[in-house]
Amino acid sequence: MEMNATSGGAEGQRKIYHQKPENKDEERAQHSEDEQEKCKEKMGKKTLADVIQEMKTFLWNSEKKECMGRTAQSWGLILFFYLILYTFLAGMFSFCMYGLLLALSPYTPTYRDRVSPPGVMIRPYLHGFNIAFSVSEPSTWMPYVNSMHDFLQAYDDNIQEEKNIECPAGQYFVQDGVESEEKKACQFKRSQLQNCSGIEDPMFGYSKGQPCILLKMNRIIGYRPGYGTPVSVNCAIQKGDESALKSVDFYPGNGTFDLMYYPYYGKLTHVNYTSPLVALHFTDVKKNDFVPIQCRLNGEGIVNDVTNDRFLGRITFTLSIRM
Amino acid sequence: MKKEMDVDDHQLSVEDLELKYQTNVNKGMNSTVAGEILLRDGPNELKPPKGTPEYVKFARQLAGGLQCLMWVAAAICLIAFGIQCGQGDLTSADNLYLAIALIAVVVVTGCFGYYQEFKSTNIIASFKNLVPQQATVIRDGDKFQINANQLVVGDLVEIKGGDRVPADIRIISAQGCKVDNSSLTGESEPQTRAPECTHESPLETRNIAFFSTMCLEGTATGIIVNTGDRTIIGRIASLASGVENEKTPIAIEIEHFVDIIAGLAIFFGGTFFVVAMVIGYPFLKAMVFFMAIVVAYVPEGLLATVTVCLSLTAKRLARKNCVVKNLEAVETLGSTSVICSDKTGTLTQNRMTVSHLWFDNQIHTADTTEDQSGQSFDQSSETWRALCKIVSLCNRAFFKSGQDNMPVPKRIVIGDASETALLKFSEITLGNVMEYRERYKKACEIPFNSTNKFQLSIHELEDPRDPRYLLVMKGAPERILERCATIMIKGQELPLDEQWKEAFQTAYMDLGGLGERVLGFCHLYLDPGQFPRGFSFDTEEMNFPTSGLCFAGLISMIDPPRATVPDAVMKCRTAGIRVIMVTGDHPITAKAIAASVGIISEGSETVEDIAARMRIPVEQVNKWEARACVVNGGQLKDMETEELVEILKMHPEMVFARTSPQQKLIIVESCQKLGAIVAVTGDGVNDSPALKKADIGVAMGIAGSDAAKNAADMILLDDNFASIVTGVEQGRLIFDNLKKSIAYTLTKNIPELTPYLIYITVSVPLPLGCITILFIELCTDIFPSVSLAYEKAESDIMHLKPRNPRRDRLVNEALAVYSYFQIGAIQSFAGFTDYFTAMAQEGWFPLLCVGLRAQWENDHLQDLQDSYGQEWTFGQRLYQEYTCYTVFFISIEMCQISDVLIRKTRRLSVFQQGFFRNKILVIAIVFQLCLGCFLCYCPGMPNIFNFMPIRFQWWLVPLPYGILIFVYDEIRKLGVRRHPGSWWDKELYY
Repeated sequence: MEMNATSGGAEGQRKIYHQKPENKDEERAQHSEDEQEKCKEKMGKKTLADVIQEMKTFLWNSEKKECMGRTAQSWGLILFFYLILYTFLAGMFSFCMYGLLLALSPYTPTYRDRVSPPGVMIRPYLHGFNIAFSVSEPSTWMPYVNSMHDFLQAYDDNIQEEKNIECPAGQYFVQDGVESEEKKACQFKRSQLQNCSGIEDPMFGYSKGQPCILLKMNRIIGYRPGYGTPVSVNCAIQKGDESALKSVDFYPGNGTFDLMYYPYYGKLTHVNYTSPLVALHFTDVKKNDFVPIQCRLNGEGIVNDVTNDRFLGRITFTLSIRM
Repeated sequence: MKKEMDVDDHQLSVEDLELKYQTNVNKGMNSTVAGEILLRDGPNELKPPKGTPEYVKFARQLAGGLQCLMWVAAAICLIAFGIQCGQGDLTSADNLYLAIALIAVVVVTGCFGYYQEFKSTNIIASFKNLVPQQATVIRDGDKFQINANQLVVGDLVEIKGGDRVPADIRIISAQGCKVDNSSLTGESEPQTRAPECTHESPLETRNIAFFSTMCLEGTATGIIVNTGDRTIIGRIASLASGVENEKTPIAIEIEHFVDIIAGLAIFFGGTFFVVAMVIGYPFLKAMVFFMAIVVAYVPEGLLATVTVCLSLTAKRLARKNCVVKNLEAVETLGSTSVICSDKTGTLTQNRMTVSHLWFDNQIHTADTTEDQSGQSFDQSSETWRALCKIVSLCNRAFFKSGQDNMPVPKRIVIGDASETALLKFSEITLGNVMEYRERYKKACEIPFNSTNKFQLSIHELEDPRDPRYLLVMKGAPERILERCATIMIKGQELPLDEQWKEAFQTAYMDLGGLGERVLGFCHLYLDPGQFPRGFSFDTEEMNFPTSGLCFAGLISMIDPPRATVPDAVMKCRTAGIRVIMVTGDHPITAKAIAASVGIISEGSETVEDIAARMRIPVEQVNKWEARACVVNGGQLKDMETEELVEILKMHPEMVFARTSPQQKLIIVESCQKLGAIVAVTGDGVNDSPALKKADIGVAMGIAGSDAAKNAADMILLDDNFASIVTGVEQGRLIFDNLKKSIAYTLTKNIPELTPYLIYITVSVPLPLGCITILFIELCTDIFPSVSLAYEKAESDIMHLKPRNPRRDRLVNEALAVYSYFQIGAIQSFAGFTDYFTAMAQEGWFPLLCVGLRAQWENDHLQDLQDSYGQEWTFGQRLYQEYTCYTVFFISIEMCQISDVLIRKTRRLSVFQQGFFRNKILVIAIVFQLCLGCFLCYCPGMPNIFNFMPIRFQWWLVPLPYGILIFVYDEIRKLGVRRHPGSWWDKELYY
């Protein structure tokens, strides 16, 4: 009986499916192994004791001398590997930092776009921008007075005369030359602040309810404020009753930062540089009330109306003077 | 649940039935009683399986492990904001923004996941459109047509050919009634229904017709014994819904890894919370640190990435006609190690086809392919012509009209399965059969019945001058042979002696052994003298000879395997997947089909085969020698589960025959006990419990019943078993690629985390903000990580064994360690290098930065001096900090570009894999760069999302580190390739 095996279907291909006998045991072995594991898993309705035991074996398997699944040698190798890797990475990082510092000039920052235009700050500065005191209680305003004195120490006339030179007013004090050369600084004497110098009135008017507040512009290397015209300061009530602030005196001059104090050359070479100040003497402010005051710098290139930064070219503080 | 059905109605007498169901076999029920019972039992329909309510599904999406952590983080933010408000500090709403951002992230990813799930459930909903069915019922002695769902137990109903059986019916009377039980039992042959009880099992007995099976021909009357969910089908369906859904392997993997991540996040957060408290930060600040560390460490975009990757593969599969209902099932096929396949309709074509012929003492093979592409046999013999004539004439089946242009195999035929097979066979070999039959006018006919076991017809001859009549007959081969006196060999009529009878027996056994259904054919030219033209033949009297005929040949039929199946089975084998056949059909047929598709490979023997070959009793055979094994349902019933597991281990090639739905379930469970990931393919209702129980159930889209489709996770729209192989391949590929995606995603968590650690411990100004981290996680890095899903396989994944679900984890130790402590560490260094560069170039030298935090963050300090003595306002410092965020962000992005390139492969060199072959990945990198540029340079970004325009050179600072990552990984891969099994391979291959 012979098969007329001419169909195109399964018959012809069947031979291919024959598997070599070696595969058999392999297939079977795999199953038994799997099952053992499965059994273990099945039994694994773990009690707490089992879990602790398991943790212990994980931490130290005395049978295989393994700690956390690795033998001492294995730990040694892997830690050594990571030591090399991290040493290399640290080396690469240090090299990058070294290269970076080499490339940086110690005198002039690479970029100054984030720090300019200048911000404004006041003194006294204790905790915030709320200057509140009671005239009749010296303990409430003494901290302000002390802060002012501390701040103005560097502006003492004799110190200024000793360290700094007198410069021609009304023009920038440009010092070209070698970058690393020490730069001269112009004198800004405390006495220039007149009523707010603390010389005649050591209480800076706080005892009379007419406080002095010093205003300074943030230092920026190479910055020339006002482009030739000095930057001036004006103050006003920020919101509300305009009559709360009747009069403010500005010293020196009309409340301007003289050009001769600019540009600034950095703390490395411009060692004795003292920021010029404008003193605001609030001679008639509404008492027993919060008076929000905003002082602005005015000048070309000064930005004082950005909503995101309330200290850029302006400053807001409140005066709250109790009699 | 897994008990067999306990129905005894088939064994009761008609009188007992009448009593039991208060009915009458002639008049039917009283309609009022029927109404009461309807109220009691409910309508006769299957209750749809209970779905999870939509809001629960949505809530589940919002309450995963990582999501919970995010909720906690958001809560901390809100609390911190609340406390700030309480203290009257209204300067910064950062915490509020962050809380909103976190909640938005959770909700948006939740919505995304829900949408994906919703989309896949929609596919199922479309299967539920059932047309209301009508049934003929007799009540109070009158016939009514009513909706089938109004039927109650005890109703007397009539069914006829073409009807769907409206409920489980005990047959009272029947005329030639046949039903198709294939959806229930898997048998493709029609089953006779008659009033006699023939078997004690309700499934096997002839006097019960089952709900939802088709009545093919004849008529029957019966009493309804079960309705709705209490029918056999209903019980199987509820059996399926009772089987809880197994978690998919990928779900287990993801859960496993989410647990680890969440654990580590809390551990890191907790540690630094304590550290911060010890260093002396206030409690609130420490809580915010905790929150920030959690945000930095948790890969927020990961679940979305995984979902997108899976749905991409699902789409790819859908193009290849595999519809995935449950996204996670995409991967399951890849890890499948056992496929339990139903036979009928899955492996086979589910239509009887002539496969072999025996004439001229030779077995000829017919073409059984679906598209008739196979070769045909030698048709030159005279005997063939005679046989062909008998086949064409002695056949009552006919084509439905109007199908002349359709290919023959696809035409619809009215008639039973074997007649259909014969009709199609003769139509293909002979040509127009209908016309042929007209030429040989039929004079009389006796249809097949179970007592005669033959079918006979008498025809006039084509040639009008030839006055003879031709008697043709077909039937059970042994009965036909009994009636024959001669046999036709090469056109010659030879006497049928012992030698020919033996030849017949051998051929019959051979064909029967192939599991085929064999029919014998014979004919006789009647003597024109005795039977002149116009003779009146009487079928009752049989006034014509029915013995002494001439035997023409045997034809055997089988439901042939689909052409693509053997190849697919072989591919499964090379991929290390075991294919087991589980069918309701007879063992012999099952074994034959198993052998022809390669489930039983050539040369494999069963215990019985070995016994026969060695001529020893079955008990003496060493069972381990037998690779193959055929188990039938009867044996399975008496088997303990352990025994079954034992057998499954012993024989790699298994066929289960005559199995009930419960047994299929048990087989699947036993395979799962062996640690296998089991795929089940099937189409019938009887498969549905197993489909549900399986790790992945695959239903047939065309032949599949609704119950099967409902229970399945995947549907093969073209019913092509070969699509499973595609599924396996895609599943394995996506597993590999998910590994790559996750490795890519995890890496950047370290450079996101380290800024906080350094910030807390060394007190530098914060290098990277939470919002920026969220941008990396959810914006710039999503596309590249998804693009890794398009990566081609590195090796021939179809020649590897399936992964061991307990050993080959998605995220293993090596992957995490390599990503975190090596690549992640390099990225951190890159970030800090860039950070210090940006700070130094703006005037803040690295050493000044250390310990600067308190002053830096003091928002009253408006003149903080930098290394050059310049004074900065708080706002200026804040913008500088944002610049640092951006610079750090760009560093991570640059390194991530390098990272995505190295993640293309785990073992091969990227050069071997090809840089630009994955176009999507290239686009993703370009997209990432563009997005980075947009975030940096779009006006308005600084105040909305804390991105600052940064200088060009800060893009370049991280480049050396990016190159380092690339070179280092190439070295790693080289070592892994060159020294498999070495220390390097073990520690560094993930």
